[in-house]
Formats: sequence, C-alpha cells, structure tokens
Amino acid sequence: METIREIQGYAYFGMTVVFVIALYGYIVYLYKGKKRGMDYEKYSNLALHDDLNDQILEARNDEEKDSSK
Amino acid sequence: MFHWLEKNPFFFTVVLFVVIAFAGLVEILPNFAESSRPIVGKKPYTMLELAGRNVYIKDNCMSCHSQLIRPFKSETDRYGSYSLSGEYAYDRPFLWSSKRTGPDLHRVGNYRSTDWHENHMKDPQAIVAGSIMPKYPWHFTNSADIATAFDEAVTVMKVFGVPYNKEGNPTVPATFSEAKAEMIAEAKEIAKDMKDPGVKAALENGDIKEIVALIAYLNSLK
Amino acid sequence: MQQSTAVSYDYTVARWFTYTTIAFGIIGMLVGVIIALQLAFPALNGIAGEYSSFGRLRPLHTNGIIYGFTLSGIWASWYYISQRVLKVSLNEYPFLKLISKLHFAVYFVIMLLAVVTLWMGISTSKEYIQLEWPIDILVVVAWVLWGISIFGAIGVRREKTIYISLWYFIATFLAIAMLYIFNNLAVPTAFVSEGVGAWYHSVSLYAGTNDALVQWWFGHNAVAFIFTSGIIALIYYFLPKESGQPVFSYKLSLYSFWSLMFVYLWAGGHHLIYSTVPDWMQTFGSVFSVVLILPSWGTAINMLLTMKGQWQQIAENPIIKLMILASTFYMFSTLEGPIQAIKSVNALAHFTDWIVGHVHDGVLGWVAFMIMAALYHMAPRLFKREIYSKKLVDIQFWIQTVGIVLYFTSMWIAGITQGLMWRATDQFGNLAYSFIDTVNALHPYYAIRGLGGLLYLIGFFIFSYNMYKTMTVGKELTEEPANKTPMSA
Ligand code: HEC
Repeated sequence: METIREIQGYAYFGMTVVFVIALYGYIVYLYKGKKRGMDYEKYSNLALHDDLNDQILEARNDEEKDSSK
Repeated sequence: MFHWLEKNPFFFTVVLFVVIAFAGLVEILPNFAESSRPIVGKKPYTMLELAGRNVYIKDNCMSCHSQLIRPFKSETDRYGSYSLSGEYAYDRPFLWSSKRTGPDLHRVGNYRSTDWHENHMKDPQAIVAGSIMPKYPWHFTNSADIATAFDEAVTVMKVFGVPYNKEGNPTVPATFSEAKAEMIAEAKEIAKDMKDPGVKAALENGDIKEIVALIAYLNSLK
Repeated sequence: MQQSTAVSYDYTVARWFTYTTIAFGIIGMLVGVIIALQLAFPALNGIAGEYSSFGRLRPLHTNGIIYGFTLSGIWASWYYISQRVLKVSLNEYPFLKLISKLHFAVYFVIMLLAVVTLWMGISTSKEYIQLEWPIDILVVVAWVLWGISIFGAIGVRREKTIYISLWYFIATFLAIAMLYIFNNLAVPTAFVSEGVGAWYHSVSLYAGTNDALVQWWFGHNAVAFIFTSGIIALIYYFLPKESGQPVFSYKLSLYSFWSLMFVYLWAGGHHLIYSTVPDWMQTFGSVFSVVLILPSWGTAINMLLTMKGQWQQIAENPIIKLMILASTFYMFSTLEGPIQAIKSVNALAHFTDWIVGHVHDGVLGWVAFMIMAALYHMAPRLFKREIYSKKLVDIQFWIQTVGIVLYFTSMWIAGITQGLMWRATDQFGNLAYSFIDTVNALHPYYAIRGLGGLLYLIGFFIFSYNMYKTMTVGKELTEEPANKTPMSA
C-alpha cells in the first residue's frame, strides 16, 4: 500500500507539472495563432449566422468534393 | 493543436473523456482496498437493525442528521469520539449526510434510550421545546419491511462476505420464517421499554412496527 | 453549395421540452418553498401526514429542479441550438427526429416514476441519485438516446467546426454518463436472496468511506456537469445571438473549456474535508477547488466582455439583463465555492446553511435565470409569436432578484451563526450552547429564507404566465427574428 501511495504521489506531481506547462503553453500558442494566419475568432460567427440558408463558414470535406463535381 | 479537435468530434470526445476520467482513476481506485476494512470488534447490523436503517432511509432522516463526527474538540465534546473509517465498513449505503439541521447521530445510542426515542419520535416538540423536527406518528402504525431486510442481509453476506453467523456476530438463518422469528424476539426485547399499546399488541401478533425497528437501529449507533 | 430553401428547422421536441421545463420548474420550486417554510414552521410537516414530511419532500425538490427543470431546459435548448449551429434540420433526417421524440417520451416516463417512487420513500439514499435500479436502467436508455441524437446530428452536420456550446453539451453527456453509472452500481437484493421483500431494493456496491468517495465524486460533478457545463452551453449561444455580438474571445473560450474539464473532476473531495477519507484527497479537493476559479471566471469574463461597448442593450433588453445577471451570479458563486473549500473555512461552513445558500445563489441566480432567458429567446422562434409582455419580464426580474438576495443573505448569516455556535465555549472550555439553542437562533433566518423563496416562486409564476400568453395570444410573427427577441410592451 505504501509504495502505491508513493507512486501515486509522484505520478500526481508529475502530471500536475505537465498540465500546468501544457496549459500555459497553450495560451501562448493560441495567441500567437494570428501570425500563422490562423483566425480563431471567425468561429464565433457559427452562432450568429445560423440560419439554414446562411452561408456555411467552413464546409466539410466530403461536401466540398460533392459541390466541386 | 486543440483546435483540430473541434473539427473532429470523434477525437474531441475521446480526448475529453480521458481528461474527465483521469481524476477518477487517480483519486478513487487506489484507496478502495484500504478504507473498507472494519475496525476490530465491529459487528454487522442485525436484520432488525437493517429494517430500521431502511426506515431511516425511507423517511430521509439524513436530510437533517449527519453521522460523521469530525475531529474537533467542539464535536467530540458534544457527540463522543470522532468517527473512524473502519466503523462504516458495513454501511451500504453510507449515511454521513451533508446537512446538520438536527444533531449528529453517529453515537446517539450512547446517550439516548428506547423510551426517550419513543416519545421523541411521536412528538419532538413535546420533548425538546422549540424543536423543528417533524413528528412521525406513522412509524407507530406502519409495519417495518422485515422481508426486505432479510433479503438485504442475505445479499451482503453472500456477495460481500459480511461475517454473519460467525462467533459473537448476529445471525442470518436460511429461511425467512426463521429470520422472522428471530426479528420478533429481538423486537420484543426493545418493546419491553416502550409504552405504546398499539405497537405492543401488534408485536404479539407477529407484526413489527417501523418504530421498533428504527429504535433498534438508533440504539446500535455507538 | 446551394441548399434547398424548402427545409426549415424542426422544433417539435424543443417545444415539448419547453413545456416540461415550465411544469417541473413550478413543481420543484413550489416544493422548495414548502420545505423552506417547514424549517421555520414545523407544523407544516403534518399537512398530509407521511407524504408531506420534510424528509420525503426534499428529494422531490432537488430531483425536480435538477432533473426536471434544469435538464428539460438544457434539452429544449439542445434540440434548438444543435440544429442551428450544425446547420442540419431534423426534418431532413426522420431517424434523428424519431430518436428525439423517443428521448422525450422515455424522459417523461422516468420523471413520472421518479415523483411517485420518491414520494413513497423508495430511495437509495444517495443525494441526487436516489432512484432505485429499475428506473436507473430507464435513465441509461434516455441517456443513450440523447447520445444518438448528439452524435447523429454531428455526423451529418454541414459546418465543419462544432461550436463552443456543443463542446459543453458533449461534456455534460460524457461526464454524467460516467459518473451516474459508477455511482449507481448496486446489487439488487431480489437476485441474490429468495426475494421475499421488495423486488426493486438494492444494496450499494461500495461501503462506508468508499461509498462516500464515489458519491461525492458524483455529487459534486453532477452539479458541475448539469448546472455548470450544461448552462454554459446555453449562454455561449444565447448571449451572442440575442445581442448580435460575437463572443468576446473564442480563444479564451477554448482555453476555459479545457482547463475546466481538467480541474473540475478533482474538486469533489471538498465535500469530504475532515471526514474519514485520506488526507491528501481532502487537500486536493480544496486546492483544486481554488484553482477552479480561473476557468470559471474565464467563461464569465468572456460573457461580460461580449457586451463590451453594448451596455445600453442591458437597459433596453430584459433578456440580456437576465443573462448578464446570470453571469454575474456565476462569478459570484464560483468564488464563494472555493472559499468554502478552504479547509479552515470548511470546518466552520460544512453541515451548515451557508452551503445551502451557496447552492441557491448558483441555481437561482445562474441556472434558473439563464434557462428562463433561453426560453424567452426561443419562444418567438418556436411559436412564431412575439413575447406577450416586456413589462412582465421586467417585473419578474426585479421580484426574483430581491428573492435571491433575501435567500442568500439569510443563509449566510444562518450558516455562520450555526457554525460559530456549535464551536463556542464558555470560560471553562465547555460548550456554550446546547444543540436546540442553535436551532432556535436560526428561526428568523429560516423565515426570511422562506420569504425569499416565495418571491422567487411568484416571479416564476409570472414567467410561466408570460410564456403561456406568448404561446396562445402573442402577436404573430411572419419572419423569424434575427437577434433581439421581439416583445410587446
Ligand atoms: C427537518 C429536519 C429533521 C428531520 C427530517 C429529522 N430530524 Fe431528528 N432532529 C431534528 C432537530 C432540529 C433535532 C434537535 C431537537 C430535538 O431533539 O428534537 C433533532 C433531534 C433528533 C434526535 C435526538 C438527538 C440528540 O442527540 O438529542 C434523534 C434521535 C433524531 N432527531 C432522530 C431522527 C430520525 C430517526 C429521523 C427520521 C425519521 C429524524 N430525526 C428526522 C431535525 C430533524
């Protein structure tokens, strides 16, 4: 039982560090997205232009193929 | 990175599940073996006590009463020594509760008696002025569900290895009719200290009222 | 990429769930007011014998609000939002439409059975998961049907990216499925023994401390994934849509989502501080609860900033007002919760009415306000009629806000008084108060809380009346409104 406890403790600590780094890295990554030409904010429009006849923001691949036929 | 996931709902769901399940794996699983061992000398509930416990659950006493004495002086002074994990080994389900509108009951068997409970359950305000506990007159007229209690005892014995029929421990006989006889004998011991004539008369006819089973349970909380 | 203009969204099931939201809201809140008053005036316990005692009624209140009112509200919104943000109509997919109708039907049967059995006292005792196993099996069926509806709709979607609200719906679906199943594992007694007793009875697979752990892992997170992620799903759609403003930051919403998902599940341990579960777990429970402030506030701030430069809308549009107050209460209760999870504060607050107060500023302020705003937004689209009366929305808003304030202030004072009196000692170190002294001290606060609850209920009746009038005599609309919900004065 004690060894399980110990492994658990280390595993927990390790995971926490990994997650903290990952999450902070993630913020930086997201905010640098613009430089790579990645515009996340346009996806907000999914809620605003949601009528069946509204322009589709980004179609799925298979349908793009369909329409190019 | 993560943004890709929103376009691929399948992987989105998988990743999300891993993230959500992670805490459970680390927190819940490894501690199971350790905390379920009963402390030395802890006896399982008798069948009558189980019937009483089911009355407690049916009328949801845990919506107002805790059964968990925390390790503070103010609590041990009021209720007795603090609760230990092993004391709950036979509690399926646990009844710690999350609200203490009335006092903790984990050791109420140490300082309240059968006749006190009888009067208090009938009319709490008559015993403790200003009490906001409901009256429970139907406990004196409804019959306790001893058949289900028998089923429950058999189940925990067979499935979870609860040590009934071992030296000094309560018994669970093979058939319900034997079990019923045992429960009535135990109920009669309790009814000796009770006054309500209806409850006593019913018991003579082999009918155990809810109040008797409930008191058996409350007395077992020590 | 031309689409046929003949199809339109299908709102049949969204309408059905709208009706049940209102019905269960009335029942759940009415029972809530009754049990609140019982604590102030215990004679009320006797009005219908066994069937009106506090213990029997409380599960009807909690289950009615959580699974009746809130889940109905979430599902009404789900069948509305999902079609729109995915740009698929259930009219195009008869199979999915059938599933959605079955989902509603099974759900409705469950709720009826739940009311009857809980009232009879048939209960597993665990909070918010009291239903016995035969009903649990139906719950699983309902959940699977919802799952088919979610992943079916996503499978046929036209938009490639799934919108923020759907992430939260999926999270609600997954987490509740996992928690509900694990916490419900039990052995039906009739299968093992001769079955002389009740056939529906079961014993928990876990005992004592383990049972408590699993229960609060569930209990905390059922709250988390219905009252939090389910409602966040709504606000991420309805606030931008009603105001015509895009979400302040999509990046922030991505970030808050993933960090919330990671942190939330850990926090359950805070229900067990100073209990017999291992120390380190209690510590995690409290540390993670504090960390939880970050993602929660991320979402709330994202909502408030969405209204940046548009604050005049709050004065003009009572639906925006409801939603902004909801986000504010969300911030407030996600700050209060972590405070209560700090070990030394918890020592005082646990088992007291302060916790009850915390739950209610979250549920009355955040959950119910958001659901009512969602229903108001949807009604003109679902029924093709204007909201019957803007004035009533305003009146309702103010009555309910006063109700909430009375509720949580009285519960704070009651809880802290209770906690302090339990531990107070005289100069010799003996306990200063008997238990009944602490009960007597709370009487006025219980009465005020009852009044607060009553005001909220009155507000809800006004809401229901307004909705009813909207459905029946509201001014008819020829075209679906784009953003702001039309209201008659
Ligand atoms: C509405 C809340 C409420 C409910 C429900 C409730 N009680 Fe109580 N109970 C109280 C209060 C308040 C007190 C303290 C005043 C008193 O002794 O009556 C109390 C006191 C008690 C006591 C005395 C404990 C002591 O240390 O003096 C017992 C025993 C008890 N209750 C048993 C029960 C049982 C059994 C049930 C379920 C059938 C139950 N209670 C349901 C509120 C409640």
